[in-house]
Amino acid sequence: MDIGTLLSYPWEIMMPEFIILIAATGLSLTDLFLPSRVNRRIFGWISAAAVLAALISLLTQAGSEPAQILHNTYRLDSFSISFKALLLFGTLLVLLISTSYLARSDVEEQGEWYYLFLAALLGAMMMASSADLITLFVGLELLAIASYILTGIRKKSAESNEAAMKYAINGGIATAVTLFGFSYLYGLSGSTNLGDISREISALSADHGHALTVAAFIITFVGLSFKLATVPFHMWAPDIYQGSPLPVMAFLSVVSKTAGFIILFRVMLSIFPTVQGFQPDESLYQSVMIFVSIAAGLTMIIGNILALRQNNIKRLFAYSSIAHAGYLLVPFVAFSQMMFESTWFYLLAYVFMNLGALAVLHIIISENQSAHISGFAGLYQRSPVLTVCMTIFLLSLAGIPGTAGFMGKLHIFIGALFADPSRYVLVSVMLVTTVVSYIYYFSIMLHMYMRPPKRYTKITWPIGATLTIALCVAGTLLLGIFPGAALQFLQEYFWFNDMFTLN
Amino acid sequence: MNGEVLVFLILASLAVIGGLLMLNLKKVVHMLLSLVLTFLSIAGLFIMLSAEFVAVVQVLIYSGAVTIMMIFGIMLTRHQDEQRVQKNRVRTWVVLIGILVFFYTMYEAITRFVSVEQASELHIENTKQIGMALYAKYVIPFELTSVLLLVALIGAIVLAKREEEEEVKQE
Repeated sequence: MDIGTLLSYPWEIMMPEFIILIAATGLSLTDLFLPSRVNRRIFGWISAAAVLAALISLLTQAGSEPAQILHNTYRLDSFSISFKALLLFGTLLVLLISTSYLARSDVEEQGEWYYLFLAALLGAMMMASSADLITLFVGLELLAIASYILTGIRKKSAESNEAAMKYAINGGIATAVTLFGFSYLYGLSGSTNLGDISREISALSADHGHALTVAAFIITFVGLSFKLATVPFHMWAPDIYQGSPLPVMAFLSVVSKTAGFIILFRVMLSIFPTVQGFQPDESLYQSVMIFVSIAAGLTMIIGNILALRQNNIKRLFAYSSIAHAGYLLVPFVAFSQMMFESTWFYLLAYVFMNLGALAVLHIIISENQSAHISGFAGLYQRSPVLTVCMTIFLLSLAGIPGTAGFMGKLHIFIGALFADPSRYVLVSVMLVTTVVSYIYYFSIMLHMYMRPPKRYTKITWPIGATLTIALCVAGTLLLGIFPGAALQFLQEYFWFNDMFTLN
Repeated sequence: MNGEVLVFLILASLAVIGGLLMLNLKKVVHMLLSLVLTFLSIAGLFIMLSAEFVAVVQVLIYSGAVTIMMIFGIMLTRHQDEQRVQKNRVRTWVVLIGILVFFYTMYEAITRFVSVEQASELHIENTKQIGMALYAKYVIPFELTSVLLLVALIGAIVLAKREEEEEVKQE
């Protein structure tokens, strides 16, 4: 291939990725040549501006025809645009929290902090916009390696070092398992292109290829479940969230998790729905969903039950994020017409409520220098506004009507009930565990409203965290009261079925 | 049993033995050597698959560079030379049974799979073909890998760099 053919591809569709890439490399070079006495705080605002620019350039692509470069190694369709918007928006909020976090922390590498975040975001975005196993895998690793470094960036904290070590080892195992699964997909089809894999596997006769295809599905799912923090790869989350700096924890629990769902949807939905299942009238995707639904049920139960016993607020939110990943697997299992809409909506709601809660958490933790739940005691008497904001986020996480979390859960319920076949068991598990989750969310509220405060000093509002909280309160309430607006936007600009027209 | 199967069995079992030794040996350097055994046997397997380029890369990077890196790591850090692990009998058995079940499942699955045709032209100019694929079809993941390496490099420096005050003290 000569340079002419290479330039004839529509490279302009990669605009958002290029913006992030240029910002990351530009910042790293500036960091290298800037004298060390110059404060790096401005980097935070520059990278936030770059993410915002990428988000805007992405939104101008909404509603465009699916396009691809070089045999789908880069692919832009409705699925990738809509989910990349979530990644960019989540990272934007995380960067805002970072600006307030770094002002008061012992992290020396303030420049590196920001461009590692941008590199991780770039990896996640590539995972969203590719239909080729190799690009997907490189994106996955880029996200993973940048996250390992960010987890351990507080070098003087033993907790942070331990978390980085555990994360790297667990992540390495998960990567090995994922690759093992991918190797079977490749071996069965002789191609890394998801469209070709789907076609080749569909052509295998059921007696010969079935067992291996099912094995490939299960192994790949197990490997990818690490990024989602769902059963069977969930136990890393509490330790690592506890040890990592708070913005990194926010990134892992929102952006990295979203990226995990994106790659899971892309790989599984591109390949398996067209393959003949165990029964003549179902696809292999539906046949193997029994395994995923067991994993989803266990995730909801384990996450919510273990969250009840936590006194450390970061661990509590880690278990709560495991539980939310379990809810998010329900539409994946149900495989209804509404699957993409309900997942997207719930993830958007989750970005708002979880990042908002974590921004409040950042203010509380930096006031108290500890992550114990008693830090919330008497918050209402110290700062009523902050308490009301936190209450909104907690109500939304619990799924109380009037908030984004409720609408998200409702959508998942309806999707699962109208699916064919209906997933009654999974829906009832979700209902019961949601009620269980009220206990720990309300226990935080109990601390805020009922307990006497330890001291009465005024709470300071750092600018980045304040911006995040304001945006998240607005988002949580608006999505809760007018959910139709977001869903209408989705239906107007995105046709998720164009994900399947791979060639 | 023809010669090809025999060579495959020898190489494969050497690779597995290397892995097992790595887990069970006590001294760090011995572990490293058993790892080299695994790497080299895998390089042999690649040659059997007519993938000479990958085999040579395997020898250069894994048996060469990675091993040397690890030796440096061992030499430059204060480490417990002997590793003592309390063995949990129950856990060992559970893991062993799990491995056997997994092996049996995969074995059954693979024996049922009948490949339609054997690829017979893999050996023709395969280094050239890798180059063509890498710089044409897979140029996006290739460029992305360079970002990945850059991130890994920055990460290594960030995590391993000594603080400035400490350096002053050392001098």
